[in-house]
Amino acid sequence: MNRANAPAASNGERNLWSRRLALDFRAALVVVAALAAAPLVVTSPYTLGILIVSMYFALLALGWNLLAGFTGQFSLAPAAFAMLGAYGPGLFDYQWHLSLAWGIPAGVVGTAILGWLLGRVVLRLRGPYLALTTLSFAEIARVVVGNSYDFTRGAQGLNVPTLMQSRVGYYYLFLGVVLAVLVGLYVLMRSATGRFWLAIRDDETGAESRGINVVRYKTLSFALSCAICGLAGALYGTFSQLVSPELGLLLQTGIVIAMVVIGGMGTLTGPLIGALLVYLASEWMRGFGNVQMIVFSALVIVFARFFREGLWGLATRRVRVTRRTTVAAQ
Amino acid sequence: MKLLRTEGLTKHFGGVAAVEDLALDVDEREILGLIGPNGSGKTTALNMLSGFLAPDRGRVFFADEDVTGAKPVTLARHGLLRMFQTTRVFSRISAIDNLLTAGLARGLSESDANERARALLEELTLAPVMYLDAGQLSGGQRKLLEFGMCFIAPPRIALLDEPFAAVHPVMRETMAGFIRRRNDAGHTFLVVSHDMPIVVELCHRTACMNAGRLIALGPTRDVLHDRAVIEAYLGSDAHV
Repeated sequence: MNRANAPAASNGERNLWSRRLALDFRAALVVVAALAAAPLVVTSPYTLGILIVSMYFALLALGWNLLAGFTGQFSLAPAAFAMLGAYGPGLFDYQWHLSLAWGIPAGVVGTAILGWLLGRVVLRLRGPYLALTTLSFAEIARVVVGNSYDFTRGAQGLNVPTLMQSRVGYYYLFLGVVLAVLVGLYVLMRSATGRFWLAIRDDETGAESRGINVVRYKTLSFALSCAICGLAGALYGTFSQLVSPELGLLLQTGIVIAMVVIGGMGTLTGPLIGALLVYLASEWMRGFGNVQMIVFSALVIVFARFFREGLWGLATRRVRVTRRTTVAAQ
Repeated sequence: MKLLRTEGLTKHFGGVAAVEDLALDVDEREILGLIGPNGSGKTTALNMLSGFLAPDRGRVFFADEDVTGAKPVTLARHGLLRMFQTTRVFSRISAIDNLLTAGLARGLSESDANERARALLEELTLAPVMYLDAGQLSGGQRKLLEFGMCFIAPPRIALLDEPFAAVHPVMRETMAGFIRRRNDAGHTFLVVSHDMPIVVELCHRTACMNAGRLIALGPTRDVLHDRAVIEAYLGSDAHV
């Protein structure tokens, strides 16, 4: 049988981007609903704290995935943008005694502008050159923040005021932001903008030749991705009440990439479940010594080699196979 | 009316003159063939015409407007569209999504793009594979898909680079029929090809390049019998 003619049209319709995205979004909403119910059974402040940090990473993973998974721009700077976003409320409070109502938006807008600028700088770079340039930016940002003692207190870090004392309150704040980012990404990915990002990911020259303004959509993706990371960092800063250059370590970026690769790149559910599973597993593995990065690095190799679509891709593939088998049996 | 015209178009790569002083014109509603041996500068010329390469010297006029150095996205929006020798489709989304994306990029509404995409898939015999990711299609099907992406919103001129290369004869006929029908409807083409029977069949006029220079331009049969063209293909010892 001609492989190209294999799937029946009715089943094939599920491969339409709008259908794939809708299924993906519904699954992400199920994960969010499960998280919303979690405090009913999880009451320990320590465990809630772990879940809050998982959601911080989920935001970074969603932000990075917008750039790498949907637009095909492999950046090594998500953690650096989270750090810069976190310094927004920190510096506004420390330097100018301005409240978080100024500091958090400043962190988000500042990282969006820096992301846009970085997007312009790396516009014509691809592959390893793009990755190395974003890595250089990330390291420069971290070193500058760490060495500007008079302005940032250097490696000592800055104390940041908290938004609230309630851990449950923080939990739902992070969950609300995760939900808002998911809805925003879903709306964007359903629109022409999302389709143009996918086109740029798959073939930049082809996209340009079809009339897609590659410069505009790539820089928009950079700006939005970095703003999401900045927002995550700004909120995390107020939660932990301390920001330091360590937030921008390359190791943190490595964890974010591992989360997205394991969960499933180019999807909404993948980064979410990847972040939750990887961070929760990482906490669980603390009892076995410092082995987390070895385990996650090995998993990334296995997923990159054998399961490129990640856990979400594996799950949807399994559903498709089950459906086909059921139809064939009938 | 001359829809596309070049004056003294020149591009050098280091010491090599890829295109030298090219003066070409394409009439509205015409199919102009562009032939020449490998390395004669056809693709470089096409790259300059479609904005992917800036010329060192010379001008490009599209509908009497100087568009030298204009970006591909600007030219595409003005209706000058390009098909590549190596197909450029969006491999991880379905064939119909490729067409929808191309339609939205050309300013169509989603419902318009959807309607036209389905009609094109039927016409190009791609309906049975419309839900497959473009990366899963055969080489010929991808070429047909690229035709569809070019024509989801009819261009004023389509520049086709080797559309018939390494394509199954049935698909080649589908493509040729598509070009013929669109040309009958008033569309203009510039077709780069090594497939002489197709060039003879489709092209009203043909231009031949060799070593970066235009060596012949005129009615297709006259060009194919031109001594300079025969020598360019077969060498100077060739006997006609």
